[in-house]
Amino acid sequence: MKEMIVNRPIAETFGWLHMGGTRIMAPEGERAIACALAEGETRTVVVEDTEEAALVTADLPQGACLHLIGIRRAGAAGMARTDIRVRCGEGAEFHWYRLILGGQESYDNCSVTLEGTASSFTADIGYRLGGQEKYDINCEAIHTGRSTESRITASGVLSESARKLMRGTIDFRSGCAGSVGQETEDVLLMDETVRNQSVPVILCAEEDVAGDHGATIGRPDEKSLYYMGSRGLDTETACAMLAQAKLDAVIGRIPDPALRDALREETTR
Amino acid sequence: MSEGKTYVEDVNRAFYDFRFEEKDSFRVQSGLTREIIEQISAEKGDPAWMRDFRLRSLEIFHATDMPLWGPSIEGLDMDNIVTYVRPNTERMHTKWEDVPEDIKDTFERLGIPKSERESLAGVGAQYDSELVYHNVRKEVAEQGVVYTDLESAMHGEYGEMIREHFMKLVPPTDHKFAALHGAVWSGGSFVYVPPGASVEIPLQSYFRLNAAGAGQFEHTLIIVDKGAKLHFIEGCSAPKYNVANLHAGCVELYVGENASLRYSTIENWSKNMYNLNTKRARVEKGGRIEWVSGSFGSHVSYLYPMSVLAGEGAACEFTGVTFAGEGQDLDTGCKIVHGAPDTTSHVNTRSISKSGGVSTFRSAVVVTEKAEGSKSSVSCQSLMLDPISRSDTIPAMDVRTSKADIGHEARIGRISDEAVFYLMSRGLSEEDAKALIVSGFAENVSKELPLEYAVEMNNLIRIEMKGAIG
Repeated sequence: MKEMIVNRPIAETFGWLHMGGTRIMAPEGERAIACALAEGETRTVVVEDTEEAALVTADLPQGACLHLIGIRRAGAAGMARTDIRVRCGEGAEFHWYRLILGGQESYDNCSVTLEGTASSFTADIGYRLGGQEKYDINCEAIHTGRSTESRITASGVLSESARKLMRGTIDFRSGCAGSVGQETEDVLLMDETVRNQSVPVILCAEEDVAGDHGATIGRPDEKSLYYMGSRGLDTETACAMLAQAKLDAVIGRIPDPALRDALREETTR
Repeated sequence: MSEGKTYVEDVNRAFYDFRFEEKDSFRVQSGLTREIIEQISAEKGDPAWMRDFRLRSLEIFHATDMPLWGPSIEGLDMDNIVTYVRPNTERMHTKWEDVPEDIKDTFERLGIPKSERESLAGVGAQYDSELVYHNVRKEVAEQGVVYTDLESAMHGEYGEMIREHFMKLVPPTDHKFAALHGAVWSGGSFVYVPPGASVEIPLQSYFRLNAAGAGQFEHTLIIVDKGAKLHFIEGCSAPKYNVANLHAGCVELYVGENASLRYSTIENWSKNMYNLNTKRARVEKGGRIEWVSGSFGSHVSYLYPMSVLAGEGAACEFTGVTFAGEGQDLDTGCKIVHGAPDTTSHVNTRSISKSGGVSTFRSAVVVTEKAEGSKSSVSCQSLMLDPISRSDTIPAMDVRTSKADIGHEARIGRISDEAVFYLMSRGLSEEDAKALIVSGFAENVSKELPLEYAVEMNNLIRIEMKGAIG
């Protein structure tokens, strides 16, 4: 085990908030997963979390498309740590689907550099945490190429004493004219003892870009609960359905139909 | 996203950039030593507790690290900053004609006495390290409203009240420049609005730093008691020098139960100024704090007014605009702590970056376990006017209860070609259309100011379009 700081963002907020990176004690070493794709190739890679940290790298050539799916199962013990480093060439696409269905401690770092013209990155992150579970993530879309696109979408549910810290960064660097970045976060807080921390950052050194982010954090919407109640659903069931909808939004985007169906079944059990 | 480019001129600061010969009557050596602090304390006739407070703050300053997360302040060398400069007047005046000619001329040019006559309930004017003029309208004073300089109030009947509140909201341990302020503070205003009193027209303090290589460390302490109401306006400017100047003021605002305070600032320090100012408000049950903030000047700014919503139902509204031009790195925003049930906060900001200027919006919204039923919304929009500038948005939210509703939205972009096209189709030139759009972008602040100040702000952001090229 060694002490390390993980998930350090490109730009830090106020020091007293202690959101700039997380200090952890973690096992040394990591399994390396290198995704080598040919020009124009499309591939789907599934990475199951284990207690050994994963370092996923990809240098996507022109027109390549990588779908990376990462799943942390409910009830998993210990710590999972994933570090993803991707560079996208011209027209390349990287799609990351991340499901945290539970797990004691999960740390994700995902840094994607959109170097090639018209390259793109999407991140769909869904989580459902309870008990003392903790999820800590840093997700960066670094736009350096022209006309690049990024979208980071995170939605999840926290209950009991669960904690989540999400840092999302859209970084428009000089020269990325015509690029677009979007980040949205939707967090449902189910119990009084949860804690949610969010730092949605946009850094901009280019004039001809459009970036936006939005976040909604709070309890289940009263209007939705009232409507569902008027259709005969009790509050508990209605809340469970709203929570499931957060995960379904991510699962529905997974390109592998068999995995999609299996995850739907697993999450509704 | 077309290939067209918009050229917007920097804020024209010539109006504020005049200067007079430095005719101060006393100044300490540059640097920061125990002897200098003792000298300032003796000059100001501090009571013993204040002298001890200054010395303790100095120790904290030396023991505290520089902030690591904001713009670089490497160009600021405290060994070269003069922390106390007394202007060529021995005391504060209550009659404008008694103020020394050169100082009077400075404030006349800035329009301060005219504003007082036309739209203010009272005025305070600080020149370098000391207040040189303070006055309050008779009808306001008759309500029991106290508006005076902090030093004389400290020696009078409000001495104990000041001791109870001074640097309690912003303790010297807060950060390095709060400690510096605690050690060398000088000048500033004390306002007390008694229970139920309502000051319908604003009070204003204006701060002018004339001495090259000097610091200004005024302290503003405002206590608005239960059910009272006040609008306070703060303005600041300085001529430009080739050496660094420092502003490390401190504003502490206490808003009592069901009281209301609007604190407006038009900040236009010169571009050699390091503006490391700290502002904080504590709001009790049912109280309301409104910040209206326009940041246009300074070389580097760290400015994040903080609101501590300590009582049930307390509310905060923050409206701000920041314009960063050539050579400027302005790190502005706000901090809000929801510390009681049913508290609300609304933040609405605009940033404009041009000619290589860097504008950063940085915010923190913390909702504690006690803040059940609280609501917060943050909206920030940034406009990039050329590809050599920079605009960053770094908001943070920390929510520790489920019974809260928190919303955040931010947008970054350039002037819309469609909007320019529409205005041109209505007969405006391209330059006028773009100028109108940029002015409108900052309207969130100007519409919250009294008319005279909105005009001043528009002077500051007067934008000259020089043709669409490229």
